[in-house]
Amino acid sequence: MVSIDILYKGLNMKMLQKSIQNKENQANGTPLVKCLTECEKGEEVVVLRVNAGRNAKTRLANLGVVPGVKITKTKNAPFKGPLEIIVKGSALVIGRGLASKIIVECNRACKN
Amino acid sequence: MSCHLPSNKSKNGKSNKNTINIALAGNPNVGKSVIFNQLTGLSQTIGNWPGKTVEKMEGYLDFLGYHFNIVDLPGIYSLSTYSLEEIVSREYVVSDDVDLIINVIDATNLERNLFFTFQLLELKIPMILAINQMDLLRKRNLDLDFKELEKIFKLPVLPLVAVHGTGVHQLLEEAIELVVYRHPHSHYMRRRSKASSHHGHHYYRVEHIHERSDPKVNIQKTFEFPNLFEITNFGKEVELKISVLIENIDRYTQKFSSCNYPSRFLAIKLLENDSEVLKIFTENQEGSRIIELSKGYREQLEELHGEDINTIISSEIYNKIKKVVDFVLITKAKKNVKRTTVSDFIDHLTTHSIFGYIILLLVIFGIYFFTFSIGDFLGGLLDDRFTIWSNFIHANFGENNIWVKIIWDGGLGGLFGAIGGVLVYVIPFFLVIEILQDSGYLPRAAFLMDRVMHSLGVHGKTIIPMILGFGCNVPACAGCRIMETEREKKISVALTSLIPCAATMTVVLGLVGRYLGFYWILILFIINFTVIFIVGKLLNKTLPGQCTELIMEMHEYRVPNFKVIIKQTWVRSKEFIFKALPIIIILGIVLEILLIFNALEPINTILYPVTFLWLGLPSITGVFLIYGILRKELTLVLLSVLANSLNSSLIVLLSPVQMIVFSLVTMLYIPCFATIILIAKQTNWKYAAQIAILEVGLAILIGGIIRFGFLIFSGF
Ligand SMILES: Nc1nc2c(ncn2[C@@H]2O[C@H](COP(=O)(O)OP(=O)(O)OP(=O)(O)O)[C@@H](O)[C@H]2O)c(=O)[nH]1
Ligand SMILES: [Mg+2]
Repeated sequence: MVSIDILYKGLNMKMLQKSIQNKENQANGTPLVKCLTECEKGEEVVVLRVNAGRNAKTRLANLGVVPGVKITKTKNAPFKGPLEIIVKGSALVIGRGLASKIIVECNRACKN
Repeated sequence: MSCHLPSNKSKNGKSNKNTINIALAGNPNVGKSVIFNQLTGLSQTIGNWPGKTVEKMEGYLDFLGYHFNIVDLPGIYSLSTYSLEEIVSREYVVSDDVDLIINVIDATNLERNLFFTFQLLELKIPMILAINQMDLLRKRNLDLDFKELEKIFKLPVLPLVAVHGTGVHQLLEEAIELVVYRHPHSHYMRRRSKASSHHGHHYYRVEHIHERSDPKVNIQKTFEFPNLFEITNFGKEVELKISVLIENIDRYTQKFSSCNYPSRFLAIKLLENDSEVLKIFTENQEGSRIIELSKGYREQLEELHGEDINTIISSEIYNKIKKVVDFVLITKAKKNVKRTTVSDFIDHLTTHSIFGYIILLLVIFGIYFFTFSIGDFLGGLLDDRFTIWSNFIHANFGENNIWVKIIWDGGLGGLFGAIGGVLVYVIPFFLVIEILQDSGYLPRAAFLMDRVMHSLGVHGKTIIPMILGFGCNVPACAGCRIMETEREKKISVALTSLIPCAATMTVVLGLVGRYLGFYWILILFIINFTVIFIVGKLLNKTLPGQCTELIMEMHEYRVPNFKVIIKQTWVRSKEFIFKALPIIIILGIVLEILLIFNALEPINTILYPVTFLWLGLPSITGVFLIYGILRKELTLVLLSVLANSLNSSLIVLLSPVQMIVFSLVTMLYIPCFATIILIAKQTNWKYAAQIAILEVGLAILIGGIIRFGFLIFSGF
């Protein structure tokens, strides 16, 4: 798990409020903020923040991976390979190293 | 500052007033090259994966009395400075060489495509939106409201199905309207009713255009780009800052007039901290002051939003796009039920963590097996023919007649060797590679291999040029342009140049395959791939820098387009026939003459220690290996020419071990000449030389080990 401090550092205020609200709504209190790599396949999540370097971040933003956008993880390559997400209706493959820097929020509690 | 200076386009004769210069721009894999090929009759690479076109390509066409100069650009996602292509394309479209942009858009991926459109709009260049792949959109029970789209963008918006040629020439008609008559936008309904009524409409248009014959004058200066502020603005906070920046830039227009960018574009890019635009401004004092100003603004905005500027602006654009798309997208079916299609199933299978890799192996072996079976069959037929004819000629004209030797054994022997031994393999090879390209399999291979390739210092996309390298290393090395950093380009060209290309494989198939069986090919293969792995590891260790992460669009599978595939295969094969066959005939004749005069001895003597003593090959092969640098298949072709002139066959000339060693050396010893040039172009000459030397060294080393290995084992 990523430390919550890092996650929220400089987080968009609107996003933060929303996420806190969301958390209160969930009775069981499971953490709802995690890296994209930790999500389950087929789960729809909302991007909170991309903690990558400037270049990768800009590229992702240009491709539509910006805070607030809904994405769905659809594939997970074996042996810590890349993963595939659906963003804006089309598929995007992202290397695992980069995906672990994309912080997302789930709409429902995690199973584990 | 919208400084489209009056153009002095006297160069290349582009100044002709009947000429319209068009650039095709858009995201990767939207169909730009299909449109380009349709219009110009040329054959740019087409396939279902992003990043095929790596360099801008020009073509011409005369239509309705105008001369169109059309440029196909590499696909890009934005006008930032992420990759070299983006910078080059951006500078090109604002240059005086472009009168009009055709922005090609994939209808099935509207939001992402419109992101680029929004960026292009900032350049304020006459533009047509070509919404392509409408067939696929309609198959999903969706459609677009083109009337609304034109109303929103105030520019012509056309539906296209490029692969069928639908709507392609309308683009040009619209271009004339826009560039010559400067209609900010035409009326969709008017055109629509004409287009659908009857095909006589074409004639109508011709007259209609010739009726008004005012010459094209300074289009750029008089074309009034529609005001699209309503849809392109980034919200109050950002716009406030931009307008101050514009004011400042406009005040010093003369200072920055070396560039063609509109001031609003410059202002946005300044906010985004765009390195290229910063360069323009650091040139003088006022510029530096404006940079300071923009820096302050950027910090304010980032503080306010808690995000970096690129994210803020991208989000704003995507928000606008969402509104546009919601407005124009028409859902025909009541419910958009998600059903699993065949394409989804294949997608699932080919990216599966077990089956995916099995399929990948099957695909690679399938390529070889297919080529091998077809080539072997055809080659066998031709070989028999040639032997019969050869015997006939020799019987009638005498075996040692010098002219028979030169013309028949040398020239025609080379030709038959090339057709029967090379062409029969090369054509099926190109065919499967084309099918593979057009199906959309390649990005899946990249997905599967990303992890493995990381251990060689590159990300998974490298596998795409590598697979293409099975066809020919030359375009494959050019394709290494899709790698983002210098370091990754270096590694991937090295890996790609080691892939046994079709020509190399003909040597392996024609020698080892034909005389020793498929089993030995497999062993050679394993050795070859081990070498690739080792070289990758080596480069990863020695080259400074780090591996970047994979970011790649994954497009859906498509049924390969039969016509496209046949055409592309033919173009590739034709190139081979017209480039390689003449060389082969001439070299065959030269070889015979040299043989007659015993002129090859010096070269063979120099190479003797390596070829004969170390590798255990007949010393004559030294010359063949040198010829092979020109084109790899020459090693085999010339070998069979030699066999012909000695009236024997390859199996007599070479022992099985020699065949294996010879093939292995041919596989590894050096990239062919054209590949070396391309490696140098992608990187630099020093690096190309290093790679060549490394590969020669490895080939000699491993060849020798194999030879002595056999010697030792057969000793038991
Ligand atoms: N179904 C359908 N397929 C299309 C259409 N237009 C293009 N394609 C396919 O889309 C794929 C990409 O076409 P290209 O012309 O190579 O794309 P590009 O925009 O030049 O791509 P890059 O050079 O990589 O930037 C090919 O497989 C085409 O067959 C269309 O109208 N309908
Ligand atoms: Mg192209």
